[in-house]
Amino acid sequence: MVREFELPDVGEGVAEGELLRWRVEPGDSVSEDQPVAEVETDKAVVDVPSPVNGVVEELRAAEGELVPVGDVIIVFQVDGEDEPDGTEPTPADDATADSGHQTDDEAPTQPAEDTQSEPAVTQRVQVAAPPSVRRLARELGVDISNIADSSLGRITESDVRAHANTDSYSSTQEQSNQQTAAAERQKQQAPSTQSVSSVQARETADRETTVAVPKTRHVAAEEGIDLDTVPTDERKDGEPFVTLEAVQEYAKAQQQAQKNDKEAVAERAAADESARPESRTPYNGIRQTIGAAMTESKSTAPHVTHQDEVDVTALVDARSTLRQAAEEHDIRLTYMPFVMKACAAALQENPQVNVSLDEANEEIVEKQYYNIGVATATDAGLLVPVVEDVDAKGLLEVASETNEKTQRARERSLSPEEMRGGTFTISNIGGIGGEYGTPIINQPESAILALGEIKKKPRVVEADGEETIEPRHVMTLSLSFDHRVLDGADAARFTNSVQKYLRNPNLLLLE
Amino acid sequence: MVVGDVTTSTDVLIIGAGPGGYVAAIRAAQLDLDVTLVEKGEYGGACLNRGCIPSKALLNGSELATEAGQAEELGIYADPTVALDEMISWKDGLVDQLTSGIEQLCTAAGVNLMKGTAEFAHENKIRIVHQGEGQGSESLKFDHCIIATGSRPIEVPGFDFDDDRIVSSDGALNFETVPDELVIVGAGYIGMELATVYSRLGSDVSVIEMLEQALPSYQEDIASIVRRRAERLGVDFYFGYTADSWAESEGEAVLTAVPTDEAAHDSEIELTADKILVAVGRRPVTETLGIEAVGVETDAQGFIPTDSRCRTNKEHIFAVGDVAGEPMLAHKGSKEGEVAAEVIAGEPAAVDYRALPAAVFTDPEIGTVGLTEDEAANEGITPVTGEFQFQASGRALTANRTEGFVRIVAAKETERVIGAQIVGPEASELIAEIAVMIEMGAKLQDIGSTVHVHPTLSEAVMEAAQNARGKAIHRQN
Repeated sequence: MVREFELPDVGEGVAEGELLRWRVEPGDSVSEDQPVAEVETDKAVVDVPSPVNGVVEELRAAEGELVPVGDVIIVFQVDGEDEPDGTEPTPADDATADSGHQTDDEAPTQPAEDTQSEPAVTQRVQVAAPPSVRRLARELGVDISNIADSSLGRITESDVRAHANTDSYSSTQEQSNQQTAAAERQKQQAPSTQSVSSVQARETADRETTVAVPKTRHVAAEEGIDLDTVPTDERKDGEPFVTLEAVQEYAKAQQQAQKNDKEAVAERAAADESARPESRTPYNGIRQTIGAAMTESKSTAPHVTHQDEVDVTALVDARSTLRQAAEEHDIRLTYMPFVMKACAAALQENPQVNVSLDEANEEIVEKQYYNIGVATATDAGLLVPVVEDVDAKGLLEVASETNEKTQRARERSLSPEEMRGGTFTISNIGGIGGEYGTPIINQPESAILALGEIKKKPRVVEADGEETIEPRHVMTLSLSFDHRVLDGADAARFTNSVQKYLRNPNLLLLE
Repeated sequence: MVVGDVTTSTDVLIIGAGPGGYVAAIRAAQLDLDVTLVEKGEYGGACLNRGCIPSKALLNGSELATEAGQAEELGIYADPTVALDEMISWKDGLVDQLTSGIEQLCTAAGVNLMKGTAEFAHENKIRIVHQGEGQGSESLKFDHCIIATGSRPIEVPGFDFDDDRIVSSDGALNFETVPDELVIVGAGYIGMELATVYSRLGSDVSVIEMLEQALPSYQEDIASIVRRRAERLGVDFYFGYTADSWAESEGEAVLTAVPTDEAAHDSEIELTADKILVAVGRRPVTETLGIEAVGVETDAQGFIPTDSRCRTNKEHIFAVGDVAGEPMLAHKGSKEGEVAAEVIAGEPAAVDYRALPAAVFTDPEIGTVGLTEDEAANEGITPVTGEFQFQASGRALTANRTEGFVRIVAAKETERVIGAQIVGPEASELIAEIAVMIEMGAKLQDIGSTVHVHPTLSEAVMEAAQNARGKAIHRQN
């Protein structure tokens, strides 16, 4: 039996996802839970698992397509159960041949005796499509034997593109023509080619061949019309057929459209005069999510940023000592786990910072757990994996988990759950360079700490009552906080706590 | 000195530098993969060293000699003598030129070349044993592997290749002198091509074939044209006989053949020979690879089954060319090599040809592509055919080569071209046009309405297509 599979809600109630990549193709056998596709939601890239054991019959979405949750994206052929509608199962050995036949049932233009007299194997020679078109079909994830309508005519590039752009495989010639026209329209966005408005005025077709009587050809030539572009629903000898009336009507529409175009082009020409080279990329997916979250945070929470510096010479020493020990556990030890532990300790001392504002209930929620997010720059944009219960974990454990999650963030294989539930965020701008920043709070948290680069700076050191100027390792701290729930004094006290642990990392041993 | 076993790594490891392997290597390198190509012998594989190229060189050389000596009709009187050793060294020069060309192409594309015999250590690691005693070995880790180890001639029991009396096609391409008496076991395309070469060069050639037809895998009306021409060159055929044994007697070999079916022939025959060429087929080369160790499956004949993307049962191990099964054709191997490389690079490639052209370089040549009339009917397609005899081609007449015909097969209902068989002059070149037509999904009219140059042999293709529609000009329809 056939099993249709809809794009599931892949996390956080997202409404749609971009189908990044198919991992299977029609004819592949799949087992339950095997990943069949990669889908990018506005939070992350997730694998979509197969719900069944079976054979992939059809891919209903093209790579790069934005698919609403609940749309059928893939159809499986599943063994063992009878056809629910009682139709006779197709006697075929392999699944590929099988799928070729399933679609024949949906092809009203094909005479019934054809489908019965042709064994599935004849698809090999009977589907007439040039090699370049077959390759395109694979690129777009279209099973070429599903383009049943054209089985008597040659399948063209346009047919395949049209098929890739539609999620229903109904196949009357009329629809096929409209889809072809739609595909063409997308291709012809550039102002210099055939104009937009002419297509709007009248649908245009793009066939390989057209049948017409000599008189029609004559009129078309006089009007300067390419017969292959004239829309038609009629067929003759299995080929599209264009009547004289259709040509005349089309010619009239074209003339009107050309007139409109001239005006439009003249308008645009003025604007194009000062054009400079630029490129455009879609603002969507992760980028768009970041944008929305930042706008929301900055416009709801009054941000104040408290800035200070801390002498981390002892921390630098401690880390260089511990690094080798960590390496024996195959763990790369950076400064980040120390800062995370320091923040967890400081949050415990200053619980008023570990809060979120529940506006709906007009309550301030104080968290008694310490989940720390680590802002991570990736090619797709900023992602914040969360390490839970940092207070309860050892330094090495925190290091290992942080390394692993930031790495997966860069590979974009984090699940949405792994970026949720944070109570405080650290952003290490210093890794790239810089001193102070004004970070934006990762709501619903109430504070975020940005770390500057650790630099050697001359600082006054007091020892044995004597003051000297020495080169010291200094790190800057920028703490943005939500002034609705915190005041400057809270922020300063919290920062002091963090400084205490970073200045003297031995104190972390007491935690 | 034993060189230590050093492990390095590569994205794509390709085993065998024949037409499947080297094409895969170049394409993979073009796609920015790190590629290592391992070859234990000569670059170019059987095709360049022991197959397509050397046999065609000798066919062409022997044809030139024969034509010149048999053109009295045209007023040409000549009696060419052939120095076989010189013809062979000319052939060897061509082979050297082509094999070093392949090496250069690979190097220029950025392929790492390694000499040695490859053996799987485990799923992602291969050991490469260098040639020669004590030369040591090294190990290579790989992400993907393409097996392109090719095939070698099959031996018949009792006829072990000894490079003296009993030779394979490899040996027959390197005779020092033209044998007086040559017995060929097997009338397949290799046996028939070499029968053509040596009968032209003056050998007394006998061919023993188990079945009752020369070129048994081709249609009878095609094979018989080639057989008749071979008989005119002096080849004796013994159909329905199986080579049984041979013995040395008074300075020559005596081969005994027994009837395959005792009802058809009553007694065994004895044939004397200077050389016995055994050409009964080829088998895949996998035995030194250790593929069982990594779980790559083979079928009953030892071929490695693959899917349309050239993958074996192991996701990361591919197989292309002869080792991946029939038909064992260089151009099939090359196509698969390209596909495997592109699949590894993440491209949506697949082996999706509609029809695979093939040629036999006998006299006259045979070119085939797609389905025959019977095969079409077996697949449920009602066929329609059109034919054109070279006898009616002006160009064939001027070339003094009028044997044979072009036959085109189309689906009756759609008039789409689905196959062709050509026997006659330049059949191996003419078949290419029809292969393109099949791939493009062309109809009979597309060929028939395309203008072909006059006077050429290709007009016969056009006329055959028109004949299928009842519209040929230069013959009755």
